[in-house]
Amino acid sequence: MIISGKPTAVLTNTTKGLYCPAGDFYLDPRGSVKRALVTHAHSDHARPGHDIYLCSDPCLPLLRLRLGGKAKMESLPFGERRRIGDACVSFHPAGHILGSAQIKVEVSGKSYVVSGDYKPDKDGTCEEFELVKCHGFVSECTFGLPVYRWKKEEEVFTQINHWWASNAEEGRPSIVFAYSLGKAQRVLSGLDTSNGPILMHPAAHSFLEPYRKAGISLPEAAKVDQAKTGEYAQAIIVAPPAVEESGWTRAFKGCRKSLASGWMTIRGQRRRQNLDRGFVLSDHADWNGLVGVISATEADEVLLTHGNGDALARYLCEKGIRAKVLEKPSGPQEEKEP
Amino acid sequence: MKLFSRLFHDLDAMTKTNERVERLGLYFEQADPNDSIWACWFLAGNRIKGSVKTSELRAFASDRTGLPDWIVSESHERVGDLAETLSLLVEAKVSGTSLSLSQLVEAFIKPMVFMDREERRNCIYRAWDVLGPEDFLPFHKLLTGAFRMGVSKGNLCKALALFGKLEPAFVAQRLTGNWTPETASLDKILNPKRTEESLCLPFPFFLACPIQDTAPDELGSVEDWQVEWKWDGIRAQLIKSGGNVMLWSRGEESVGESFPEIIRAANSIPSDVCLDGEILAWGKNGLRPFSRLQKRLGRKDPGPTIMKREPVRFQAYDLLRLKGKDLREQPLRKRRAKLVETLDKLPNEFPIGLSSVLAEKSWEELAALHRQSRDRGVEGFMLKRRDSTYQSGRVKGGWFKWKVDPLHADMVMVSAQLGHGKRSNLYSDYSLAVWNDRGELVVVAKAYSGLTDKELKEVDRFVRANITGRFGPVRGVRPELVFEVAFEGVRFSGRHKSGVALRFPRIKRRRLDKKPSEADTLETVRNLAGNETSRAEDGTRIDEDGNLLLF
Repeated sequence: MIISGKPTAVLTNTTKGLYCPAGDFYLDPRGSVKRALVTHAHSDHARPGHDIYLCSDPCLPLLRLRLGGKAKMESLPFGERRRIGDACVSFHPAGHILGSAQIKVEVSGKSYVVSGDYKPDKDGTCEEFELVKCHGFVSECTFGLPVYRWKKEEEVFTQINHWWASNAEEGRPSIVFAYSLGKAQRVLSGLDTSNGPILMHPAAHSFLEPYRKAGISLPEAAKVDQAKTGEYAQAIIVAPPAVEESGWTRAFKGCRKSLASGWMTIRGQRRRQNLDRGFVLSDHADWNGLVGVISATEADEVLLTHGNGDALARYLCEKGIRAKVLEKPSGPQEEKEP
Repeated sequence: MKLFSRLFHDLDAMTKTNERVERLGLYFEQADPNDSIWACWFLAGNRIKGSVKTSELRAFASDRTGLPDWIVSESHERVGDLAETLSLLVEAKVSGTSLSLSQLVEAFIKPMVFMDREERRNCIYRAWDVLGPEDFLPFHKLLTGAFRMGVSKGNLCKALALFGKLEPAFVAQRLTGNWTPETASLDKILNPKRTEESLCLPFPFFLACPIQDTAPDELGSVEDWQVEWKWDGIRAQLIKSGGNVMLWSRGEESVGESFPEIIRAANSIPSDVCLDGEILAWGKNGLRPFSRLQKRLGRKDPGPTIMKREPVRFQAYDLLRLKGKDLREQPLRKRRAKLVETLDKLPNEFPIGLSSVLAEKSWEELAALHRQSRDRGVEGFMLKRRDSTYQSGRVKGGWFKWKVDPLHADMVMVSAQLGHGKRSNLYSDYSLAVWNDRGELVVVAKAYSGLTDKELKEVDRFVRANITGRFGPVRGVRPELVFEVAFEGVRFSGRHKSGVALRFPRIKRRRLDKKPSEADTLETVRNLAGNETSRAEDGTRIDEDGNLLLF
């Protein structure tokens, strides 16, 4: 067992998150801890309130932007090992968003990898996923059913650009909802600037600078604090899903709305949200990605977190891989919302 | 298939009715008429029965993909729609097909009816070999049915009418009845000349709007209205044309075989008529509860015993054709006079009768009488404007239904299941329970509708955080949420542990002010059953107007 409640374990499963007693640090913790190792800058992984943070070098500017200037932060180049107490840690690209990492923890000759969120598919806006062989692998499983299979991103970008062009022809603005950090920049990277102007919500726009500084080339996008009437017929607008029903969105009169997300695989999800289109574009691994990566790590033990892990765990076990769902240490059973 | 698949995905992406009608019209212009007729038939909600079972489809998908069958089932449960699940699991080998829709139906779907399982498997595999990714979902939908795609029959008629430059009502009548693409053609449907056989088809039914939408004073003088009891039966048209007698339900199924006494009785009425009315359970003492009628439903060629024990009657309230002449454009008062004349002098216990008109002279008197509805076994009143013509579908202004208020009880949610379609991946189907005398919660209803999207999301979140057990697709839920449930009646049922089944239960609202302990008891619910004590058998689908949808 790599994870248990016993103090001798390499990683223990606590209410604050995964904890390494040998190095006295937490991984993507909740609450308030002394030392937090953070896989990436999304808010369900990088939370405020810890004493000191450690992340990958390219993650640092994003973490800074998210958590403010005061928090104490350190970073490591990808692949560089660092000793903390009796443990050794290193960060390896996860291919999820810019700077996202899998964290490898080595204790007494055995290695354990906590994946964070990851994606083995091609994505020009972040470092390419690196496969790390290990004894134990803690894997996310957001899309842990075989109905989730991603198309190549070029195909999805073509869909988006066609949709944009046909809306522009009708004189209607096109809005793509995409998470501010990561997804928005990835969508932007695939847009065909000959279709018309590109606009962005301030929340997503704020991350463009660190992306460009990291050497990611992105088309120009104008920041829009508040839309003015009737100037956007040819435009595409990238905005976070949270503003979908706000006045900010309504100001784009006659617009067509879409969402870029892996959840758009299922028609009911799109119809429920009253969207005109759903683009299946995810920054997580699809089913084949999960099964492929987990098998390739050659881990003796696999723990699944962040999703409906039951089906994936059973499937892996039937294939002879020791996998189980990493239960929350307390509280009632919970199913992740779609 | 290319045109049809594109139509399918376009309709699926559209949110506005007008856009859909326009898009359908475009399809009819582009497509081969042989394909169009199949498209119409499928869009009208039909499917080729017996081609392939859903359990087989799941098994074939499992074989083809190498995925274990349990994960196919699990995926189906998550996605909420089998056709869509198959399309997501199975990978297409080619980018598209040169087969047309009708060729696909003829070469793959129709022959499957006569195949054994192994042959069917090969057939589906071949289809997966030759179809492109865009064809998968429409193809699977053809197999599994439920093909509405947000196109109502009315809109299908509109699109066809637009294309054929005809009146929608005219096209609607051609699309009624038991036609198939083998017996009909687009030419026939769009032929502007009325043919002999169309005289045996029902007219599109005129449907009433609920009175709640209209304030009583908007209705004006009571004299302008013909008021009748709203019968608790099955809406139907009885047609006699030449030597033929047909009985059509509102679902446009021919139901004459189930009610031979009505067909026989039609010999005694004048020829070349079309009557609109209601099929009712009707004994020596008159009207019987709907549950008695259910014993006759779905039973073709009933034997003499059941016909004697469960007699029925066709209660006519409108006359749509007389001596071959279409009367629908005439005002109701004229149609009523002719109806009374036509059905004059029928014997008392005859299987065809005339629905009476109430004589009350004021809205106050009517309101008083309305309160007796439940005791009389009727659902309230029908108000029909005396100068109204017989229109097609639910058109506001002519006919209103003034229904009795539903019954209510407060119930506790004890389990939940993922919904389908728009509600897939959302726990939206709840089992609701009341307290029995031993202090246990017993389920009396399963309800789906009635909550806003926001409430649905909240309840979904609650369910996910409070799961107490898993039973296949059903999640046991901590009994904490109380809902007020409205329903039309209570029947005793041997099928449910509680011993009762509710008619048309739907969630009225969440009772945030009530604790589970304050929910109603089984005894309270039982007492609401009143004198309706017969045992009901479920299994037939009836909509909330009491119209039979499927035989």
